[in-house]
Amino acid sequence: MVAVRVRRAVVALVALVLLYGIAAQALHGRLPDRIWMGSHYVDNIQLLPTWGSLAEEGVFLAESDILASSVLVSTRRVLAGLLLGSLVGIAIGLATGRARRFDAIADPWVTFFRFTPALALLPLYVVWFGYGELSKILLIASSVAVITLLGAHHGVRAVPRVYLDAAASLGASPRLAFRRVVLPYALPHIFASIRVATGLAWVTIVVAELIDAKMPSLGYLLALSGAYPRVPTMLIALATVGALVLAFDLIVLFVHARATRWMRRTS
Amino acid sequence: MASAPLLEAVEVGYTYPGENPTQALEGLNLVVRDGEFLALLGPVGCGKTTLLRMFAGFLRPTRGTVRCAGSVVDGPGWQKGYVLQEESIFPWMTVRENLEFGLLAKGVDPEARKAASDELIRLIGLSAFQASWPKELSAGMSKMVEVARVLATDPAVLLLDEPFGALDAQTRARMQDALARLWEQRRKTVMFVTHDAEEAIYLADRIVVLSERPGKVKAELAVEIARPRSVETRFSAPFLALKRQIWEATRGGEP
Repeated sequence: MVAVRVRRAVVALVALVLLYGIAAQALHGRLPDRIWMGSHYVDNIQLLPTWGSLAEEGVFLAESDILASSVLVSTRRVLAGLLLGSLVGIAIGLATGRARRFDAIADPWVTFFRFTPALALLPLYVVWFGYGELSKILLIASSVAVITLLGAHHGVRAVPRVYLDAAASLGASPRLAFRRVVLPYALPHIFASIRVATGLAWVTIVVAELIDAKMPSLGYLLALSGAYPRVPTMLIALATVGALVLAFDLIVLFVHARATRWMRRTS
Repeated sequence: MASAPLLEAVEVGYTYPGENPTQALEGLNLVVRDGEFLALLGPVGCGKTTLLRMFAGFLRPTRGTVRCAGSVVDGPGWQKGYVLQEESIFPWMTVRENLEFGLLAKGVDPEARKAASDELIRLIGLSAFQASWPKELSAGMSKMVEVARVLATDPAVLLLDEPFGALDAQTRARMQDALARLWEQRRKTVMFVTHDAEEAIYLADRIVVLSERPGKVKAELAVEIARPRSVETRFSAPFLALKRQIWEATRGGEP
């Protein structure tokens, strides 16, 4: 199932590159190469760079190690934030899912924080945790935690009564029923929320890096290419982020499929 | 012959709470003797499931007492092997893991668990499916796994709630045979809820007919047909006579 998705993703990406390249080639020479930036003109701008100039830029970014080190740094931040946020979010979500009495307090809290954009928290986190890694990772962890908390909570709540009754009738303690009945049932919900959270983590990190821009990072690469401005660099950075989101999504899907083999449809 | 009562309902009443409280059972008296296969027969909504859930420990009677092996039922547990009406096989466990779950809960070590599940798998004839996920089983097979899963812990009583209600007639007949065979091997006290008179006669030693809501005992019939029973049994004179008796009992009281 995951193999099919990987194949589909590759085909879709190749198609995208082809379509873009054809459009860029067709419009080459017909677009203005001079734009007004609000205070000054910029010459030799490539609004839609061709494959050739993209390749040239790609080779430069690769050879200078800018791209690889940026990917590494940003990926590390996303992974740290995802891990921390998921652990905290899932743990709290499982607990609130079990303790119905806790709902009265937790439910408004969740609604309160759920729609707070991570970026709105950024100034606060910078003040609290400084300009370094910590505030970036905590920012990702915060947005991830809210989503996974909801996934785990609803997963626990969705367990049908029949399974709980069957487990109790077979003499299972609440602990065993939780481990062997509630958790497996909630797992697909949890994975669905991790998938959403993974995408959100990338949104959060790139924008966080735009504001506190330091080299190397994908956010900084985008900020820098906007400052020049250099469209080929922008496009390569954007495509890199897109590819990373896609790769992360496929990894989560793969783990999901392995963990829930019992659900897979027999074809 | 008259062995000790294993399940006992004394003047049991149950009213479902809510805005319009529904009285499901009223003044019901019932005894299931040790080793007996009792069928509880009644129309849909007569409180059969309510009574079974009381014996299983999920509901407390609003009036009267429900006892199992002499003590008042206070909550579910493995002594009362309850098979729900709905499909309750755990889809995330293999057939074998499902069968071993009760033993796992009891703290039985892996080797003994395996030995027990081996025997059950053989008994229900699912050797080819021991490592399968439930989604690969037919509805009838799933139900047999649920029955066997409950048997694994060696409960005092089997409480079966219309286990074959959702199956087609042919599969149902096959499952009844499988259950009868299983029961002949493992002589358990059984309380079997059904709305199908033929199924009740085919399987039970005794049939208790409940009235419409609020459910009360309307008739009691002994099934004195020798075991093992077969397809022929279904067309024999005593079988048909019982069927007529039940038909008349369920109609009784109506103009």
